[in-house]
Amino acid sequence: MKLITLAVRNIKRNFSKYAMYFFTLSFSVFTVYSFLALIQNEFVYQAFTYRERYRTMLIVFGVIIFVFVMFFLISSNASFIRARKKEISMYSLFGMTNGKIGKLLFLEIMLVGLAALVGGIAAGIFFSKLIAMILLDIALVDFTGDITFTFNPQEIYLTALPFLFVFGVMGLSGLRVINKFELVDLFKGEKVSEGKPRGSTLILLLSLLLIGTGYYLAVTTDSYNLIGFALPILFLVIIGTYLFFWGGLPKILSWMKKRKTKYYRGDNLIAVSAFAHRMRSIGSTMATIAVLSAVATTAVATGFNLYQNIERNTYGILGYDMYFYGGQEKLLDDVYSAFENYGVELIADYTTQRLQAKPKLKITLYNGELEYYNSENGDDYFRVYSQSVCNELLALARVNLEPVQIKEGEAVYVRSFWTNVPDFAVEIERAIMAEPLEFSKQDIRITSFLDASFTAFGAMHTIILSDADFANLYEAGDILTGYSSGTPFDQVTVFKYIKPLKSGDFSREINRILSGNVGSYRLAYNHYIESLEVFGLACFIGFFMSIVFILMTASLLYFKQIMAAQEEQHQYQMLRKIGMDSQVEKRVITKRLLPVFLIPLVIGIIHSIFAMKTADSILFSDMIMAENSYFVVLGFSGIMYGVYALVYGLFYFITKHQYTRIVS
Amino acid sequence: MSLLKVENVSKMYGTKRGAKQYQALNQISFEVFEGEFIGVMGASGSGKTTLLNILGSIDRPTNGRVFLGGVDISNLKKRQLAEHRIKNIGFIFQDYNLLETMTLKENIILPLALHGCKVQIMEERLRKLGGDLGILGILDKYPYEVSGGEQQRAAACRALITDPKIVLADEPTGNLDSRSGRALLELLSQINRVYRTTILMVTHDVFAASYCQRIMFIRDGEIYHELYAGDDKQQFFDSIIDVVSVLGGENQ
Ligand SMILES: Nc1ncnc2c1ncn2[C@@H]1O[C@H](COP(=O)(O)OP(=O)(O)OP(=O)(O)O)[C@@H](O)[C@H]1O
Ligand SMILES: [Mg+2]
Repeated sequence: MKLITLAVRNIKRNFSKYAMYFFTLSFSVFTVYSFLALIQNEFVYQAFTYRERYRTMLIVFGVIIFVFVMFFLISSNASFIRARKKEISMYSLFGMTNGKIGKLLFLEIMLVGLAALVGGIAAGIFFSKLIAMILLDIALVDFTGDITFTFNPQEIYLTALPFLFVFGVMGLSGLRVINKFELVDLFKGEKVSEGKPRGSTLILLLSLLLIGTGYYLAVTTDSYNLIGFALPILFLVIIGTYLFFWGGLPKILSWMKKRKTKYYRGDNLIAVSAFAHRMRSIGSTMATIAVLSAVATTAVATGFNLYQNIERNTYGILGYDMYFYGGQEKLLDDVYSAFENYGVELIADYTTQRLQAKPKLKITLYNGELEYYNSENGDDYFRVYSQSVCNELLALARVNLEPVQIKEGEAVYVRSFWTNVPDFAVEIERAIMAEPLEFSKQDIRITSFLDASFTAFGAMHTIILSDADFANLYEAGDILTGYSSGTPFDQVTVFKYIKPLKSGDFSREINRILSGNVGSYRLAYNHYIESLEVFGLACFIGFFMSIVFILMTASLLYFKQIMAAQEEQHQYQMLRKIGMDSQVEKRVITKRLLPVFLIPLVIGIIHSIFAMKTADSILFSDMIMAENSYFVVLGFSGIMYGVYALVYGLFYFITKHQYTRIVS
Repeated sequence: MSLLKVENVSKMYGTKRGAKQYQALNQISFEVFEGEFIGVMGASGSGKTTLLNILGSIDRPTNGRVFLGGVDISNLKKRQLAEHRIKNIGFIFQDYNLLETMTLKENIILPLALHGCKVQIMEERLRKLGGDLGILGILDKYPYEVSGGEQQRAAACRALITDPKIVLADEPTGNLDSRSGRALLELLSQINRVYRTTILMVTHDVFAASYCQRIMFIRDGEIYHELYAGDDKQQFFDSIIDVVSVLGGENQ
């Protein structure tokens, strides 16, 4: 028989075992191709405002996915070949040389690989337009055009060549595995046990300790130090996870075995002992799945949170739909007519002067180590508002803030966004409240704080005074209205209007009018589309990465369970003979398979919940202006965990179906 | 008293319409009485395992009826069958068929566990039976850690733990050397004597058959001959050899 015929026959025979693997391979090819096609798609490229960033992100993540897939393929290859040990030893027994067997495996891998390549690329071409549309829909606000179908043979080479290379490496590594086989392996048969499930209380405790320490650090470290702690936390949690599956879970299983009233129930007895028995060979896989699930869910949850909070974030930073300062005399009319011309309905606008005050004051932090404010230093000043002006400004802002009420002799200090680091903020508040602001005729004390950094309009420090104090200080000349040269400070105008984030044409007109002609201007729209592009793309990429991760891990798990099913088949036959009815059998199968899938998923999600806590400290607590941003983050993450669990659950059911089919 | 009654049982393999129909059992009828130790012999392919499977309700006869303790088991529903198997029948197989994922103890109590028995009762029965079978010392070992003879004793223990009405053994000594084979046979006949357990054993081995009180010989799916053990063991042994050589099957 020719080798190629044999290879084709083997593939056909083993198809159901490798179907999932094949699908994973095809999907990886599909993802890499799709990314390449997106990069090459001139139309999509033009649609993005920040084109270079877009292209770089796709390339970087395309490469990351590819490297991961490569790593997965090569590392799982050995276990696929080992699963066929018996068949391979059989060839060897019938006189096939190792070289020939290697060639056979090489052919098989190449055939399957080529099929996956063709399938993946074909799917990529077929869906390229859809993928581009989805991306544009996620990442762009007001995209309306139609995408033309583009196709570039270069994408095919670029996808195919590296994959062919990987398949080649896999084929060759197979040869190495074969050379290690001994003919006696054939005669050892399947009944050789994998050894008693060994666990140890020490390892269990150690693993919990490592994971717990990681969690503790993740929760308690403040965002300043988190960056430095990130790697240690990752190490602790990952090592802890592997130890848990290697030594901890077997120990827990052996404890379960001691609870006889529960354990000695037919289905528990069969399922728990079978699961414990497989722990050795499946522990590492389960740990890897837990870690990858954590990575994938954290990635999608972060992407999704960013994406969902773009609007909040935009207004948290800018406060207004639009504001500018300087040049009102010349430009305000143009701005008003832009509102008219583009049919954008203006709700209200408000103009005020950017006044300053320079009370005598020196504030140092951390026992004098850091100077925060010093009136000796000519550059330090306070932006100053009266209570009523401030309330006008707050009323037009797109944030939920109550109007301020200030007593005479007191002032409110506006926190800047960069003082959000918890420890730092506390230190600042303590220092600021300690010293009165000395003006020429009266002192004023800062007694409370306000989260409205957007009212600073370029100042480092902002205070709000009661109307009476403001008037008195103005009278006394403590409130400065212009530079020492005599030029008055410019004015700031804030705007609130209908549908600010959907007004693309209007915003472009405003950009044209204001750009270069004013002291500074900010448009919520500009910030919004920039964030949307970045975070939308991140979401899109995160989604693909997660699917690739799920597929890789689930297909490996599927494969291992199918192999196990073949070995356990005779056990089920025997069990039926001694009186296991079909209902108990169903329960046994569920109890046998569910933990294999569920435990890594649950551990992965718990990891992710803590990872989201660090993401919250670093990112979201500044972005989400809520009482407890972590709960908001968890809410959005929960949606993603649900979606992930759903997709993952699908694989569980496919596996269970196949497993049931094999053992019955 | 008649425990098992087999009436005109036939078994056809292959589909009715298919050309390759094969009649493994042909109109077999016989009775087994309570407390009997009965042997079934016959050439390879004569239908012994098929018969045993039907008696054990693992397989259904194409025609005919099987009564166990007066109940027609060929009419039982699937659920009832599983229940019936746990309660009334114990199996011992040639290749022991212990689950390698479980210790011997877990293997033995498995039928009781499937039946939802109380832990205390399980432990009690196990202690008693395990003591009688001499395996108390190895109960916590896994099957691959003990010898074939010990595995088979554990398997016998598993078959007996539910206190079945009948034990069906398919070539239980087939994989054992003569010494452990003999030990097992001694054990089976002791169980038969002490517990009054009815045992039906398929065997190729004339020596094993000589432990039985009655032997049925099957040829081409039919009962060809029956032999009863007399007082003289040697004579019984010789007559078995005679029949076996006539049958053209194997002998020692
Ligand atoms: N599932 C089946 N489908 C078709 N034919 C079968 C099936 N099982 C058994 N047979 C046939 O029925 C006949 C009787 O088989 P059985 O297993 O009962 O023989 P046996 O007497 O136990 O033989 P041995 O001593 O070798 O175990 C054989 O010819 C066998 O080929
Ligand atoms: Mg047989």
